[in-house]
Amino acid sequence: MALTRRQFLTLMGGSAGAAVLFQACGLPEKELLIDSPAAMPEDLVSGIDNWYATASQQGGVSEGIVVRVMEGRAKKVEGNPDYPLNLGGHSALSEASLQGLYHPDRISAPLVRTGPRGSGEYREISWEDAVARLSTQLSDLKNSNEGNKAVFVSNPVGGHAGLVLDRFVGATGARHMAYEAVENNVLRNALKEVFGTDSIPEFDIDNSDFILSFGADFLSSWVSPTRYARGYGEFRQGHEHRGKLIHVDSRFSMTAANADQWIHVNPGTEGLLAMSIMQVLSATHSDPIYEQLDSDGILDTYSPANVADVVGVSPDVITKIAEDFSHSEHPIALGGGSAGAHTNGTQNLKAIYSLNRVVSNLGKKGGVLLNPEPPIDGVSAAKATSTFSEFHRLSEEMKAGNVSVLMVRDADIYYGMTDTADMKSALDSVPLIVSFGGMMDDTTSIADLILPQHHFLEDWGTDVPVAGPGYEMVGFQQPVVRPFFEHRGGNLGTKGFADILMTTAQVMGEDLGLSADTFKEVIRNDARKLYELNRGQVVSGSFEGFWNGVLQRGGWWDTGSKVTKEPAIKRLDGVDRAEFGGSNQEFYLQPFISTLGDGVGASLPWLQAMPDAISTATWQTWVEINHKVAEEKGISEGDVLEIRPSNGRVIRALAMPNPAVPPDIIGIPIGQGHRDGGRYSAGRGSNVLSVLDPQVDSDTGSLAWAATRANITMTGEWIRVPKFENTVPEFPRDEHHHIIEITSGDGH
Amino acid sequence: MIPGDFQPQKPTGTQLAKLGVLGVVLLGVFIGIVLVLTFVISSWLGRPVIFGHDGPDQPIEFPHETHVKELGMDCTFCHRNVEKEAAASVPAAGLCMTCHSAVGDELEGITKMRNLYEDGRSIHWVRVHRVPDHVHFVHEAHIRYFSEKEGIEAQEVCATCHGDVASMDKVQQNRSLKMGDCVNCHKQNNAPTDCATCHY
Amino acid sequence: MVTADSNKWGMVVDVDRCTGCQGCVVACQSENNIPINLEEHFNQRRAIQWIRIERYWEGEYPDVKARFIPVMCQHCGNAPCEPVCPVYATYHNNEGMNVQVYNRCIGTRFCANGCPYHVRFFNFWEPEWPESLKNQLNPDVTVRSRGIMEKCSFCVQRIQRSTRESERDNEVLEDGDRGLNPACVNACATNALTFGNFNDPDSKVSKMKEEAMKEGGRGYRLMENLGTDTNVVYLKKVDESVEVTHGH
Repeated sequence: MALTRRQFLTLMGGSAGAAVLFQACGLPEKELLIDSPAAMPEDLVSGIDNWYATASQQGGVSEGIVVRVMEGRAKKVEGNPDYPLNLGGHSALSEASLQGLYHPDRISAPLVRTGPRGSGEYREISWEDAVARLSTQLSDLKNSNEGNKAVFVSNPVGGHAGLVLDRFVGATGARHMAYEAVENNVLRNALKEVFGTDSIPEFDIDNSDFILSFGADFLSSWVSPTRYARGYGEFRQGHEHRGKLIHVDSRFSMTAANADQWIHVNPGTEGLLAMSIMQVLSATHSDPIYEQLDSDGILDTYSPANVADVVGVSPDVITKIAEDFSHSEHPIALGGGSAGAHTNGTQNLKAIYSLNRVVSNLGKKGGVLLNPEPPIDGVSAAKATSTFSEFHRLSEEMKAGNVSVLMVRDADIYYGMTDTADMKSALDSVPLIVSFGGMMDDTTSIADLILPQHHFLEDWGTDVPVAGPGYEMVGFQQPVVRPFFEHRGGNLGTKGFADILMTTAQVMGEDLGLSADTFKEVIRNDARKLYELNRGQVVSGSFEGFWNGVLQRGGWWDTGSKVTKEPAIKRLDGVDRAEFGGSNQEFYLQPFISTLGDGVGASLPWLQAMPDAISTATWQTWVEINHKVAEEKGISEGDVLEIRPSNGRVIRALAMPNPAVPPDIIGIPIGQGHRDGGRYSAGRGSNVLSVLDPQVDSDTGSLAWAATRANITMTGEWIRVPKFENTVPEFPRDEHHHIIEITSGDGH
Repeated sequence: MIPGDFQPQKPTGTQLAKLGVLGVVLLGVFIGIVLVLTFVISSWLGRPVIFGHDGPDQPIEFPHETHVKELGMDCTFCHRNVEKEAAASVPAAGLCMTCHSAVGDELEGITKMRNLYEDGRSIHWVRVHRVPDHVHFVHEAHIRYFSEKEGIEAQEVCATCHGDVASMDKVQQNRSLKMGDCVNCHKQNNAPTDCATCHY
Repeated sequence: MVTADSNKWGMVVDVDRCTGCQGCVVACQSENNIPINLEEHFNQRRAIQWIRIERYWEGEYPDVKARFIPVMCQHCGNAPCEPVCPVYATYHNNEGMNVQVYNRCIGTRFCANGCPYHVRFFNFWEPEWPESLKNQLNPDVTVRSRGIMEKCSFCVQRIQRSTRESERDNEVLEDGDRGLNPACVNACATNALTFGNFNDPDSKVSKMKEEAMKEGGRGYRLMENLGTDTNVVYLKKVDESVEVTHGH
């Protein structure tokens, strides 16, 4: 959708510190500065709204957004219609960032702990004091050659914030580990093997006509759901022929619900199915590619007849899928989510992505498009995170006293690690925990020192996405409002994350080699490099014009910069059988991401109150169970169940029977069960991540989060499930009440 | 005289006094009710006719007369949003400072304003014209309509609703600004009277 | 082109594009100052969602389908909610919209009973936000107090603002303008929702409607047999595995 001139005018750059701008009035600078929003008298209300473009990278998902700002307050988020990654749509998480910005439980000044850990007793200190405390500790370690006793655990950070962080840990000698509760190392590892690329390629769902997806819940939570959903809309109704989606999954996910066909497979057998499909194709097509792929001749062991029982899909169906896949003009195979969360995860995903090589869709319309290297040297997308195994080792090192200072930023290791890794008690043995959290999360609330960072809507940054659009791009994140706690003065309030690091390094006397004093300058200096490339969608005769242009449009991209080189084809490896923790347990425990991401959204009431697509449940932790199995066991909706894996841990969740759950599966949403995180999340529901078995993917050491088996027991308690279903009476579905009508044809 | 018949008696002095007190009290109550009703009804119909004849006191005395009549400033110089947006807007102290950084040293209000400005705070003016939350009045559209219709400058339109602000000692409300007032004017000018024009 | 005296606002909802992601629901709550739906509000069945996603089950494992359909006020041309209101707080305006006038509403809830689509919601409580979250509230939308009925307004505040601004700037308000579109339409990643003027034959919604209502087209209206003459046109879900062409 093109921008009209009127809209374009209102998408304004924030070059004046993102204060509400008076256009062409020639007034003194001071009038531009609106009061702190909290203290503004009502008569200053002007009714003017401006839309500022910025980039949201919450929960590891990049989206370009425009934020409506009135009288210095952010009112509404919408998708940036130009941004290559979402082209106008936006996710509920982006929308709810407004509630993060104005959250009543934000931290408004640096804090130092006064009570015992976890007591929540803190005292406010000045920024000067806070930075001094951190820098002294880091300097001491560095001077005694023990720099590596400082560990920096962050979320996966790319772009310029990643650059500053890299330089900071480099200068202080600290170790850096990136953390995500639901890591995508298995995916990135498999993609590297199959496509030889570090980034996640673009899947041109828009122009595809056949998508074969294995476990990747790409319409709801996988990698870049808003972008895939946009493509999905066109895939269905944007072209002459309606695309067909087959979703292979052990659980009935939102993507399965939207698929033309949901193929239920036994957990961990997705790779076997993919191999079997390739076997069918290699037997019926004579293509030299199979000789390259299968030089060892292993494919024949995966014939449909051989794997059908293990996978749980009849040989006919496998053959049919294989034929449909190869006969399509623009097929794509996707894999991820639970398919990669088994002990054979990498093998599964390698087999799945190899299907793309079989149909040679690389670099083609409606196929897989590899991403070029980022345009600015040294400024890369977020690197792969450290794996579960590495964090498990970290917890042992903590206990052994090898970690003196732990710095955490947006990485809730207290919450996200399984209890078996013993991170919670390991954190007790770290003498100093420093958090940069702008709000209490479970790890921040045991920190000794808190240096609260700005909310991203108050801060600068760049977005170099891991899952790029298939061409070079750098998104620009600019402050759209003045810091909410500005009124607390320069010595209190919050500060930008990268700026905190730069100040700390400066106090320590370390040179980060950034040749700038503020983070904004770092970004601006590198924007000059983009300007000098003299290509991309922002054209201007001067750097000043270019800078305003990229801020107005939300970034810089060059649709012409595509990858044409095709990586060599690698030989197929075999796919082993998945192993599970416990064997006598009745159910496979399948955690899934619902509305709260991997837990980042739990503090935001809009996301808590947003109904889960399948169950419409909200605010609680529920467990999906097959309705017939539930009936046999006498379980009805709202019964409090205890989930017991073989590792002895227990969580409680509310039963939510539905007709689509396979009988041997129980599904539990990730994201609740926080000890802290503000009034909307603390003490609410339970955390399924905490009870998982420490099974890991054999190739990467990543957590195999779908490889736990569990029993359930009834507690006899009952709690009403807060859900949207039945809030309004359901429409009767008969010949008189046409509600959802189905047609078998496209109407063409 | 028939025994037992009603005998008219002269009221005693105390009785008369009691009656008198009762009469005064009743009269007082009656006057009170009339006063209250006059106030309530007139407030309902428009601005109060008994109290609040003057506008409210402002934190800093701002003589419109000096600025508009004597210096000849346009309304739109300070209320600079009036031709663009919903709210006319009251300027931040920064605008005052364009002149008052140099003039008005002797005035108490100016010192007060300069102090606020230097502290980066705002002047909390007392609002005079207010419509309820569920009414969305847009200055811009009204100014645009009247200045086109009458062929006059934007600032000459203001008086239609606000009266002769330039001559007011303290700014006060000039029209009732009740819905009837709005609708009458809308009808006279063939403006839309759809509820959703103002209420949403 | 949109002109003030000839508008008939309406929406086309392509059910085949909808994935049930609930993005529209949250966008609507943000735009329209809808009170936070707390856990107890859900438990009392008093949560407010001007637009909602209905989910229907068909069959059971392993042959199971979940169907999603977004439902908002249908802005009926012949609305059952209107005649039952004793105080004319809800009426049909000349731009094709069913308008709810908050200051007239006295909370009889007759309209909610009358609405076959169940899209009207009652404020059982005074809406509350923590002080800091009030900074997010949209000043263009009235916060409804306790005892007031509310429902989807097609984001009338956006229509008012964008038409006025285009008149002010002497510009043409184009079909599909993102300032004009309701919040849900802009949020929808799959473009399942399209908003526009049915009186403008060149608008996208008019063209979609014309195409959809042809013989064999996918168009239908919710509970058309009630004769409500809605301003929201739905396009049928496509499922090749199903033989019927009508709801069942």
